[in-house]
Amino acid sequence: MANLDMILDNINYIGAFTLFIIGLYTVLTHSNLLKRVIGVNIMETAVFLFFVSIGYIKGASAPILDQITGESFYVNPLPSAMILTGIVVAVSITAYGLSLLINLYKEYGTLELDEIISKEEKAND
Amino acid sequence: MISNHLPVYILILLLISAVTTPAIKPSSKKFRPKLVGTLTIASLLALTMFIVVWTNGPFYYNFGNWDSVIGIEFFVDEYTSLFVLAVLLISLLIIIFSLEDILHDIPKEKTPHYYTLMLLMVFSMLGMIMTNDLFNLYVFMEILSLTSCGVISIKRNKANIMASFKYLMLGTIGSVSILLGIAMLYMVTGHLNMGATSQTISSVWQMYPRNILISLSFILTGLGLKAAIFPLHVWLPDAHSAAPTPSSAILSGIVIKIYAFSMIKILFRVIGIDIIKAISINEYLTYFAVISIVMGSVFAIGQKDIKRLLAYSSVSQIGYVFLGIGIATEMGLVAGMYHIIAHAMMKSTLFLSAGAVIYRTGIRKVNEFDGLGYELPLTLGAFSIAALGMIGIPGVNGFMSKWYLGLAAFEIGKPIFIIFILISSFLNAVYFLPIVISAFLKESNRREQIMIRDDIPFTMKAPLVVLGAACIVTGLFPNIIVNVIQRALPTFMTFVF
Repeated sequence: MANLDMILDNINYIGAFTLFIIGLYTVLTHSNLLKRVIGVNIMETAVFLFFVSIGYIKGASAPILDQITGESFYVNPLPSAMILTGIVVAVSITAYGLSLLINLYKEYGTLELDEIISKEEKAND
Repeated sequence: MISNHLPVYILILLLISAVTTPAIKPSSKKFRPKLVGTLTIASLLALTMFIVVWTNGPFYYNFGNWDSVIGIEFFVDEYTSLFVLAVLLISLLIIIFSLEDILHDIPKEKTPHYYTLMLLMVFSMLGMIMTNDLFNLYVFMEILSLTSCGVISIKRNKANIMASFKYLMLGTIGSVSILLGIAMLYMVTGHLNMGATSQTISSVWQMYPRNILISLSFILTGLGLKAAIFPLHVWLPDAHSAAPTPSSAILSGIVIKIYAFSMIKILFRVIGIDIIKAISINEYLTYFAVISIVMGSVFAIGQKDIKRLLAYSSVSQIGYVFLGIGIATEMGLVAGMYHIIAHAMMKSTLFLSAGAVIYRTGIRKVNEFDGLGYELPLTLGAFSIAALGMIGIPGVNGFMSKWYLGLAAFEIGKPIFIIFILISSFLNAVYFLPIVISAFLKESNRREQIMIRDDIPFTMKAPLVVLGAACIVTGLFPNIIVNVIQRALPTFMTFVF
């Protein structure tokens, strides 16, 4: 069962890419704008998962220097630290996107893209 | 020594000014001098940095004196410092122009917020230009994409909010792809510093060719999306035409170039020219560039709105930059990097003069430009110069980039690119010349028939004149820029050593 082992070993990466594709599909195809914001969030989460998985080592401890035991088998802390920045960025994008959506809802009374487009067309006629 | 810290001084100055701008009332007398002063001082610092780099050669700047592998590093070479200077000067002119023009678009009490966004935008662009760290690049990129959405949606229109939302979504897809690509590079090399990454990649790339290919395709797609190369340009026309004029000028003139320059950095400084040529990714780039050059112009011909037309023309012009990158010889890079600066000047001139026309007359439709040259001779004069540059008339800087691009295409034995450049030049002529001709030669159907001086504020006239003059000066003396690029080229073409 070498195949199954390979899948199990790389389950993080497979999960990350699955999430990435789910997110991308949602952003590009969904007509509800709120769900598009959610889709972007899923994509970002996928990348965070991917990034953190790179630094993960099976059986390693948290990267805290232990003077007594002299443990030196640590998980790579750099990806996790970077992902903290990434999460901040993701939150600000979500907040900004949602604030735009509030304004759009005030203007159109709906968040469905096809309804907005048909309202625009009516307004132009 | 003071000169070592110049990059940080510029960034900190912009950051402090951005944060403190809302503290001053827009009606107070200090407001305008503070804004203009900030960018002037920053430009002077950038000029000093350029002189220092020109005399002493490129330098690295390590933040907090950390080792470059652990900490964040800036790398300032000749072209980088020139680009920083150009970005600062052009944004200074755009901001001087915007002092009056922006009141047309947004209420006065909101202008401080607008300038906060603008200054943050300039800050993040400079960071992206100078940084030598992949993750730092991503962070600056996110600041840039948020602020550039912000300067669009600050005008509370339906169209603006929609355009901004579209830009935000697609821009986020782009930056997430870039981050994924960076993650994969990190997976292969274990470094984020561009120099260290490049060293590791050159020794291990044959072990992980697929990984590097996937990572590069993610990064290139993301940067291409943000730089609006043809199939990925869908957000650009809405965003750049709906935005207030100064925002459009800075977005179309500078911001998309920053992504193109980041692509140059990632392709040539991180991956290295040998690997690019070995997996022939630059060839695919030229295909998209050519499609972009032609299709951008084709779309622009059908446009009635002047700002939309200019936005589509940006899609075509970014194609030239990408063609230069894709050719990937020294001449190609010279052409691409020259066009980055040349187009920044031309497109800001075009957008600002279109903005001045809208400010004075409210005309946005291309077919209503008849006789406007009598009313706004200076504005339309600047517009004509930049339009001639876009078409590629000798004497204006747009011609020189096409010339270098043509030489580069001959050099690699693909004269077919020259045919496409010529086609695009003709198409540019088809949509720019009628505007110029009708503005200067046709009878106006408005009541002012006599020649008058431009009735726009001085702060709007001066930037137009300076930018128009700059287009001609860099067109007549392209060596000013080309010499700088040629001195910086070895840092991109590592095989030269």
